[in-house]
Amino acid sequence: MKKKSTILTVLGYLKRYWFLIIVSLAFACASVLLSLYIPIIVGDGIDLIIDTGMVDFEALLPLITNIGIIALIVALLQWLMNLINNRITYNVTKDIRNRAFDKIHNLPLSYIDSNPSGAIVNKIISDVDQFAEGLLMGFTQFFSGIVTIIATLIIMLMLSWKIALVVILLTPLSLFVASFISKSTYSLFKKQSESKAEGTAIINEVIGNLKVVKAFSREDKELERFDKANDKLERVSRKAIFFSSLVNPCTRFVNSLVYAGVALVGALLVIKAGGGVDGALTVGVLSVFLSYATQYAKPFNEISGVITELQNSLACAKRVFDFTNEKEEESDLDNAELVIDDGDIKLSHVSFSYTDDKKLIEDLNLKVESGMHVAIVGPTGCGKTTLINLLMRFYDVKSGEIWVDNQNIKEITRHSLRSSYGMVLQDTWLQNGTVRQNIALGKPNATENEIIEAAKASHAHSFIKRLPNGYDTVISDENSSLSQGQRQLLCIARIMLALPPMLILDEATSSIDTRTEIKIQKAFSTLMQGRTSFIVAHRLSTIKEADLILVMKDGNIIEMGNHEELLIQNGFYATLYNSQFEPSEELL
Amino acid sequence: MKKLLVYLKGYRKECVLAPAFKMLEALFELFIPLVVASIIDNGIGKNDSNHVIKMCLIMVALGAIGLTCTLFAQYFSARAACGFSAKVRHSLFAHITSLSYTEIDTLGTSSLINRMTNDTNQVQTGINLTLRLFMRSPVIVFGALIMAIVVDPSFKVSGIFIITILLLSLVVFGIMLITIPLYKKVQARLDTTLLSTRENLSGVRVIRAFSLESKEKSKFHQKTSALNKAQILVGRISALMNPLTFVIVNLSICFLIHKGALQVDKGNLTQGQVIALYNYMSQILIELVKLANLIITITKALASAKRIEDVFEIKSSHEIEDFKSEQKNDYAVEFKNVTLKYKGAGEPSLENIDFSVSKGETVGIIGGTGSGKSSLVNMISRFYDAESGEVIVNGRDVKSYDFDTLREKIGVVPQKAVLFKGTIRENMKWGDQNATDEEIIKAIETAQAKDVLLSKEGGLDHQIEEGGKNLSGGQRQRFTIARALVGKPEILILDDSSSALDYATDAKLRKAIANLDYTPTVFIVSQRTASIAHADKIIVLDDGKIVGIGKHNELLESCDVYSEIYNSQFKKEGM
Repeated sequence: MKKKSTILTVLGYLKRYWFLIIVSLAFACASVLLSLYIPIIVGDGIDLIIDTGMVDFEALLPLITNIGIIALIVALLQWLMNLINNRITYNVTKDIRNRAFDKIHNLPLSYIDSNPSGAIVNKIISDVDQFAEGLLMGFTQFFSGIVTIIATLIIMLMLSWKIALVVILLTPLSLFVASFISKSTYSLFKKQSESKAEGTAIINEVIGNLKVVKAFSREDKELERFDKANDKLERVSRKAIFFSSLVNPCTRFVNSLVYAGVALVGALLVIKAGGGVDGALTVGVLSVFLSYATQYAKPFNEISGVITELQNSLACAKRVFDFTNEKEEESDLDNAELVIDDGDIKLSHVSFSYTDDKKLIEDLNLKVESGMHVAIVGPTGCGKTTLINLLMRFYDVKSGEIWVDNQNIKEITRHSLRSSYGMVLQDTWLQNGTVRQNIALGKPNATENEIIEAAKASHAHSFIKRLPNGYDTVISDENSSLSQGQRQLLCIARIMLALPPMLILDEATSSIDTRTEIKIQKAFSTLMQGRTSFIVAHRLSTIKEADLILVMKDGNIIEMGNHEELLIQNGFYATLYNSQFEPSEELL
Repeated sequence: MKKLLVYLKGYRKECVLAPAFKMLEALFELFIPLVVASIIDNGIGKNDSNHVIKMCLIMVALGAIGLTCTLFAQYFSARAACGFSAKVRHSLFAHITSLSYTEIDTLGTSSLINRMTNDTNQVQTGINLTLRLFMRSPVIVFGALIMAIVVDPSFKVSGIFIITILLLSLVVFGIMLITIPLYKKVQARLDTTLLSTRENLSGVRVIRAFSLESKEKSKFHQKTSALNKAQILVGRISALMNPLTFVIVNLSICFLIHKGALQVDKGNLTQGQVIALYNYMSQILIELVKLANLIITITKALASAKRIEDVFEIKSSHEIEDFKSEQKNDYAVEFKNVTLKYKGAGEPSLENIDFSVSKGETVGIIGGTGSGKSSLVNMISRFYDAESGEVIVNGRDVKSYDFDTLREKIGVVPQKAVLFKGTIRENMKWGDQNATDEEIIKAIETAQAKDVLLSKEGGLDHQIEEGGKNLSGGQRQRFTIARALVGKPEILILDDSSSALDYATDAKLRKAIANLDYTPTVFIVSQRTASIAHADKIIVLDDGKIVGIGKHNELLESCDVYSEIYNSQFKKEGM
């Protein structure tokens, strides 16, 4: 996305708030102008306080009242402006964040699979925050800064062009100094972040694998390695911090030069005018200039900071919008609903690959009749999930068709297709919520009885009962005291409750203990009765009993048939089978 | 924070000089309004151009001196802050690596890493800013007050300063006190949106399979609305800060001009002095706002400092006990009625474990997940201490060994196969610093990784990336086995370390280990009966207890759990 179109998208989000934005800008203008007016009144007031017995109280009192009233108005305007800005900022944040989150569920799975979830989370959470605060808050600051600069400039020129000239000529010096310093510290900061990264890499490696480090008694050696990086970081960041901290004092010094210049030229002009002669420069005007001299420089100093912040937040916005503009899954709203008759599935001439340069499935033909059990077999990482991805239409085939009960799955809604499958993956997923909510995920209106029945049928009831709050125990995906096997039983209970006509099951591997595994196996068999099922199989019993075995390797289906047929073929399956089970023969 | 201040010790000079120079700068700044007053009263009032020029030069000089002072202050504070954080990181690193497995388990690695990186940075910034600003702001605020009193000792005008400072502090710090807990609430709500984003990404398949997309969306929208409400509430309060301070200062200026005018009329003050008082008022406002921002940074730094201190407070629970006596026997490892309970766990993970292993024996350990297999071997290297009972290596209680001696005897191949950044050679030398290339290659050969080594450009000089990312799981696993073999350990522990190997390689590996030119005592932890069936002794664990010890054939007869495991892997059920 180009910068220009990023800005256009931002404006799109702001459109709803155009009225508030105009009000906010108007208030900003008014409050800046009014607050600049106060020093002028103060200056007028000072001219009325000349010396002992020479104070014009009659004229002074209304001026003082005016200052008070204007201050109150400015404060009110500022407050309202702040409220409006907050509202715009936070509402836009909410809008964008909701939009970005919704996007997750409209994206094709290929995007989610190929992008680290940490990066997506970052976009939705921190980038949105930084964008909103940086851009919107930055913009108001930028806007008031510009108004202040222009207004001050005009007022100064009106009051005395000679002193104004001093300010105008000297102020850019501070900008120059600031940009010079930040330019020369840039490389220092780059070095700093490089050595920071170096240190963090060691920290990650060593602390992340502390147990290994300790097993080899490498603590001292690793500390030495870390110290090298750490010392380097200290040296580099000392320099970076020192030089970058020079910006403020240096610009402050330039400002004090401006201040002294104004005082000098101003005072000399007042003396030349003879003091207090009508129309000439007065002490009051000089005091106005002195307070302007500080105010005028401030927005200049701030603006350079604000500009970096604006650029930064535009970069964040770009990342967010690039995400929300990702190509979505094609809508299938107009499609028909899938009507399941008996659940036979046909794949004809299916080809698929994740990337163009690496072909995976090519011209796959497969006919699975109603109630058949299909075992998918192959070494880890052979692409067993690819087939599941295609069946569930998480990914679309590159060519060919998949038919369910003679309906092309491209011509029916995804929802109706997916809800006809019950899916239990080895990678279990639990939602933050109670056990009951987790079981009822696929059937939110299930009765208590139905839930308990499903839990019983999946052998989960007995352990659920022993949880601290039974079915009301709160569990979550990230931290839960449930074991992997228990989590899987809960996922099976979900399917048991929803009872879809077809199944996709991923069998447990060795990470689950034998007892639980047997329970899961029993639950699976209950579930599979009379249902067309695809099983990613690890257990020999499942494989042997399957009506059809698909042998996969490197993403391809290389052999197909039942156990006996495949053994006769004496191909990859036979090798796999023999290598896996040979040692036992040796022993027996 | 107190305990961390120790690390500033070497920077005592810097810690005094930085604020001192900063104070000097502030003092010079406080003189400026007086100089301006003098320009107006003595220069303009007496038509003395020379005086004006002189005063302006003094102003420039004051600015220049101020700049020099700040340069020193920034230099010293950068030195102290960076030196401090480097020392903290060093000690923290050393401390964390000294912790035992028990402590590592309770703290969690990600939180430890966070404390070493983010938290130390936060504290560094806090120290830097504190040294630079914490002295400056109060000096300016109170300095301005004192200068005002010097200008007007009668308190008639300067009295306003006291009231203004009180009012401003009340507003600035009052708003901060109210908003800090509210900001925490905002942060907590932001965290829930983060959690649900992560949850939805990890569960995207299940959500789609159950067609829950729209439900999840509306749940998220509720969360962002709640966040939005909290943000707007806190925004409403902090939006008061600027307008209120503005009103207070300007109303004070109204009083100041009025009272000032009265005093000038009476001849107690001059016009220039009124301007000076007016300027002091503006200085106070600017500094108070800076101070408020500084306090926010310091609060953050203090919270980080607390988190770092928490780590330092955790002491390794493993102490080395006095060496009592050595029993002379042929046992390499003995467990005497050992019970292990992890910290915070309700039930012991190992109970009444009692067995002994002769030197040179191969021991298989098998059992379901959570049955305590890894716990058992971890106790040999004393990664965890027994709750009761004794673990004895070579006739000596493991608690009486110093860690280096004990762990040198033992070669561990951990479950998680990780290598570290560096060349293959450097990684292999973890097992033995003085190993020759020949020895390394031999170990690699035994570990069935020779083909991997040959396929890598540069051979032993091949660079491995952090964690060994540039190798496949199986390659990494074989190298970790080689790493343990390089040390020619007396005891070799393979903790489920052939899971990524196929059965054929696994068998070759076992054969090669059996044919080594020295005979280590080998512990093989596995889920596969095939990997341990050949062992001299098989220990079957179930739920933390030994349910069978013996050879394969014996156990098939006598141990139900063992035959259950075996059958689930080799035999068709119900056949």
